[in-house]
Amino acid sequence: MAAKAGASPATYSPSPTTYKKNRPPIFTDVDWVRPDGRDFHQCRPAFLRTGAVNAASGSAYAEFGNTKVMVSIFGPRESKKAMIYSDIGRLNCNASDNKEISSQLHKSLEGAIMLDTFPKTTVDVFALVLESGGCDLPVVISCASLALADAGIMMYDLVAAVSVSCLGKNLVIDPVSEEENYQDGGLMITCLPSRNEVTQLTITGEWSTPKIHEAMELCLDACSKLGKIMRSCLKESSSTSQE
Amino acid sequence: MFLVDVSILYFCNVSAIGYYVGMVGLSVGEKHFIQGGIAQDLRTDGRKRLTYRPIFVETGVIAQANGSARVKMGRTEVIVSVKAELGRPSSSAPDKGKVSIYIDCSPTAAPQFEGRGGEELSMELSAALRQCLLGGKSGAGAGINLSSLSIVDGKICWDLYIDGLVISMDGNILDALGAAIKAALSNTGIPKVNVASAAPSDEQPEVDVSDEEFLQFDTTAVPVIITLTKIGRHYIVDATSEEESQMSSAVSVSINRQGLICGLTKRGGTGLDPSVILDMISVAKHVSEQLMNKLDSEIAAAEAMEEES
Repeated sequence: MAAKAGASPATYSPSPTTYKKNRPPIFTDVDWVRPDGRDFHQCRPAFLRTGAVNAASGSAYAEFGNTKVMVSIFGPRESKKAMIYSDIGRLNCNASDNKEISSQLHKSLEGAIMLDTFPKTTVDVFALVLESGGCDLPVVISCASLALADAGIMMYDLVAAVSVSCLGKNLVIDPVSEEENYQDGGLMITCLPSRNEVTQLTITGEWSTPKIHEAMELCLDACSKLGKIMRSCLKESSSTSQE
Repeated sequence: MFLVDVSILYFCNVSAIGYYVGMVGLSVGEKHFIQGGIAQDLRTDGRKRLTYRPIFVETGVIAQANGSARVKMGRTEVIVSVKAELGRPSSSAPDKGKVSIYIDCSPTAAPQFEGRGGEELSMELSAALRQCLLGGKSGAGAGINLSSLSIVDGKICWDLYIDGLVISMDGNILDALGAAIKAALSNTGIPKVNVASAAPSDEQPEVDVSDEEFLQFDTTAVPVIITLTKIGRHYIVDATSEEESQMSSAVSVSINRQGLICGLTKRGGTGLDPSVILDMISVAKHVSEQLMNKLDSEIAAAEAMEEES
């Protein structure tokens, strides 16, 4: 690493001290502004479109700020494990072979789908995260339920998911990846907005009960608004297809 | 012999089957018996809804590990071992050690654990435990203080490998694993390390790992996990396999000594009203105090027994 006088040009190696990346002090300050200028309790604008993949039974594309996700649905079609008879349908979720996201997606969706309307067959949900800008899993879940609706799979209700980050004393909704990396705790809710039912709830970090109350209220409110946006997206796409 | 009034029938959605569809195929009568009993606060083994099975803790069961424990809750039995090895910290967190948690569900515990079934369950359990013990991304609220595992910033740290093995399955594995991890960590001794001073900045400093001196791990911040299983309109704690096969959903809450929630996962596909979840959290908090005290006394007794032998 040392430069030799008069010999080949010195190579540059970063010194170990530059590895230390302290948490940006702005996150602990009371009046800090979020990187994209949003309010603490303001979600990113949601761009949703169905019919992104023509060959699939149903598909959807979602863009929430820098998080871009595409989900396609194939099915109901013959189960690979056709040997095992099942009088209810099967749901298979795959999110680019990321087992954790796939299993969370499965848990969130299975409560909303009427599995007994497609017995002996399987519905495959394939999710692809094109760009990860924070809050990936909730966006994947919301996009997947939109795609399922586009595919005509019968469901009890649309599934909307929102997550909240706790940074110091502040609750920040729909965090970007920067905020997520330094969060003190996170709460993700997946709910059926019209039925006011929570299908999945995951909490990490240290929370006091009143904070959980506050965060859940925030999320459920955001979920119901997201549900309305999803519904209007579906209405739009069906009206354009009728024209 | 008590005759439970089974005329109260609950029409629950048993569409979501819990993890473990017990190899116990239950008849309709048995199902009604379980559900009816829970409604009347008298479970099939005579417990009340919020009573745990007797917990038995034994520490120091694995001699080669830095710490180990075996926990039995009724017929559910798990073993956890903790091994500490020298490693290099990750570049994104140079002043912290690393902890990896891995759970193995052996088919000897239940036949549905063979192959893929056991793999999925193992992954879920490992993820849930990691979430509960390691806190938020910034490290706040972590049960294990990762900074205490650092030896030389950016170069050497302790890598903690926490391995759990499920030997016998009769429901409520997550709680048993949480208790076993707490016991194993209290039993863990990290060897004392002497770092050779004045090492050149880009080379690995020499470390001398002591064979005799050990530092006991601080487990006051390690939380306990309480799983509340919802059957019909009531919640039970410490469900057996039979009861779990009847559940509509379950919420596992991890609570530390200060009464703060360190993690929460909801299992089971059926939707729950948000007020029900908040109610479950308060019930879990109430139960956690008793469990925490019981566990601490059991662990202390186990350590005392180990020292005597």
